[in-house]
Amino acid sequence: MSVLIDNQPEPDIVIERMVPPRDPRARRKRALRKGISYGILFLFAAFYVGPLLVLIFASFKSLPEFFRNPTGLPESFSLGNFTEAWQLANFPGYLMNSLIYTGVATTLFVIMSVFVAFPIARGYVRGAGALLTLYVVALFLPPALIPQFQLILNLGLYNTRQGYILLFLINPIGLIILVNYIKSIPRELDESAAIDGCGYVRFVWSILIPLIKPAIATVTVIHAIGIWNELILATVYLTNDELYPITRGLIVFEGVYGSDWPKLAAAVLMLMMPMLVLFMFLQRFIISGLTSGAVKG
Amino acid sequence: MAAKTRNLFGGGGGFARLAPWLMLIPGLGFYMLIGVGPSLATFVYSLTNATGIRGIPIGWVGFANYQEFLLEGARSRDNLAALRRTLIFMVLVTSIQFGVGLLMAVLVNQKLRGRLVFRTMFFVPVILGVAVQGLMWKLFLRPGGGPMDSIFGFLGLESQFLAGSNAFYWVIVVQIWANAGFTMIIFLAGMQTIPADLFEAAAVDGATGWKLFRNVTWPQLTPAVNTNFLLNIVGSLQAWMLFLVLTGYKNGTQVLGYVVYAEAFGQTGTASFRQGYAAAASIVLFALVLMLGMSANAFVKRRERKYMA
Repeated sequence: MSVLIDNQPEPDIVIERMVPPRDPRARRKRALRKGISYGILFLFAAFYVGPLLVLIFASFKSLPEFFRNPTGLPESFSLGNFTEAWQLANFPGYLMNSLIYTGVATTLFVIMSVFVAFPIARGYVRGAGALLTLYVVALFLPPALIPQFQLILNLGLYNTRQGYILLFLINPIGLIILVNYIKSIPRELDESAAIDGCGYVRFVWSILIPLIKPAIATVTVIHAIGIWNELILATVYLTNDELYPITRGLIVFEGVYGSDWPKLAAAVLMLMMPMLVLFMFLQRFIISGLTSGAVKG
Repeated sequence: MAAKTRNLFGGGGGFARLAPWLMLIPGLGFYMLIGVGPSLATFVYSLTNATGIRGIPIGWVGFANYQEFLLEGARSRDNLAALRRTLIFMVLVTSIQFGVGLLMAVLVNQKLRGRLVFRTMFFVPVILGVAVQGLMWKLFLRPGGGPMDSIFGFLGLESQFLAGSNAFYWVIVVQIWANAGFTMIIFLAGMQTIPADLFEAAAVDGATGWKLFRNVTWPQLTPAVNTNFLLNIVGSLQAWMLFLVLTGYKNGTQVLGYVVYAEAFGQTGTASFRQGYAAAASIVLFALVLMLGMSANAFVKRRERKYMA
C-alpha cells in the first residue's frame, strides 16, 4: 500500500472526462471546487508547516534576536546553535546510544521473528494456529508496563543497556506481517530444498530471508522507528545520563536550557533529521508497515 | 491437515526434526517473558502493595487498591475527574481527527497539482515521536510573542496556551495534528480501492459533488471508516504522552494513562512508587478501553451489515 506515491486512476479524472468540457457552467463549477480545495489544503498546510518553519527559523537566531523576534525570519543563517547544542547536550553520546539500542534490538528482533513466523505460517510446529492467536490477542491485553518494570528490576537489569534493549525484542504486529507475507511464498520451494538436502536453518537463512525482503524491510523500519522515538521507557528504565537515548537526552536538554529556544530548536532539528531522511527513502515501507497493522481487522 | 503440519526438513530425525522448535523458542520465549506474561501479571499486581523499589516485600491487599482509586477521599475524586477527562479527550480527538482526516483524504485524492506534497506533509508528523512533536509545539505555543501568541494578538485574543487553564484543549490540538495524517492515509487507501466504474455509473446518472460522496464514496469506504473509528477510540483513550512533554504532571490536566505512569514511577510530586495502586489504575483504564472498544466494534459490525450486504 503505497498511498503517497502511486498514481492509480482516480475518481476525478473520470468525472472530468464525463463533464463536457465546453459547458461554461460546469467549467466554472469545477474551477470553483478546485479553488475551495486549494484554499482548505493551504490552510491545513500552514498548520503543518508552520511549527516546523518556526523551529527552523528559531534555530538560526541568537538568543537576544529570538526574544526580539521569536516568530519571523532570522537575520542571518549561522550554524552556531547547532554546534553549541551538539557539544552542550552530549549529543554524540545520546545519538550513539539511540543507534545502539535501535540497531541491536531491531536486528535481534527481526532475526528471531523470522524463525517464529516461518514455522507458524507453514504449520511446521504443532499448535501453530494457537501460537498465532497468541500474537493476535496481544492487542487486547492490558498494558505490561508495571510487571515488566518489576521483572527488569528483579533481574538486576534496571538502568542497563541490556535491560533496555530487552524491552524492544517483541512486536506482535511485526510478527503478524511476517507470517502473512511468508504465506504467499510457495510451499514447493521448501519441498525442493528439503529434497536437495538443504537444512532447516540454512533454508530460512539463505533462501527464505532473501525472498521475504519487502516484509523484512517493512518490519525493520516500523520497529526501528518505534525504538528511535521511544521516550517513556527511556524515562522509566534509565537514570544514568550516559545511557540516555536521544529522545530522553532532548527532554533533559529542555530541562536545563528550556528558555534558550534557539539551541533547543537546533537540538530538536538534529533529532528529527535522521527520521525525515529515512522517511524520504523508505516511505513505501513505513506506510505499508504502519497501515497493514491497522487495516487487517 | 496432516500433511500441512509435516515438517519437510525432518527427514533425518533428531536435530533436524526439532529445528523448527529450537529456533522458534528464543523469539517466543522473549514474547512470553516480556510481553504476554507481564501483561497478564498486571491483574495480579493490582491486588498487591508492590512498590518500585527492590527489596521491599510485596503483600496481598485484595481489592483495596481499586477501592482507594475509585472510592476513597480527595484522591479518588481527582481520579474520577481524570477518568471524565479521558472520556472528553477521547470524544474530541476521535471526532475531530476522524473529520479532519476524512477531509484531507478527500482533498488530496483529487487530481490536483501538488497533492503528493500535501499528502507527505500531513503524514510526516506521525513518524516523529512525542518528544519532537511536543517540543515543536511548545515553541509554537510559546506565550509572550510566540507564533500562535502573535496570531492571537492580531485577532485580539489572549491565551496562556500550555500554561493556562485551556492547556488540556491545546494538547488535544497537538494530538490531532500529530495523528490526523494516519487517519488520512487509511481513508486514502480505502478510496483507492473503490472501482472507478462505480463513479462513472453514478456520474452518468447525474450525481456530482456531495451526492457522489454520500452515495458512492461513503458506503464504499465502510472498512476504512470502521478501522479509523476503532483505532481513534482505542488510541485516544490510551494516549497521554504528549501531556508529559507539553504540560507535565499537574492536577486538573492529566488523563488516566498519565495517572498510571505518574503513580507507578514517582512523578506525582510525592516520589512514591505505588505500583500496586498504579496497576489497579491501569486495569481500570484497560476495562474502559475494552468496554468502549467492544461497543464501538459492535456498532461497526452493524454498519458493515447495512452497507456491505
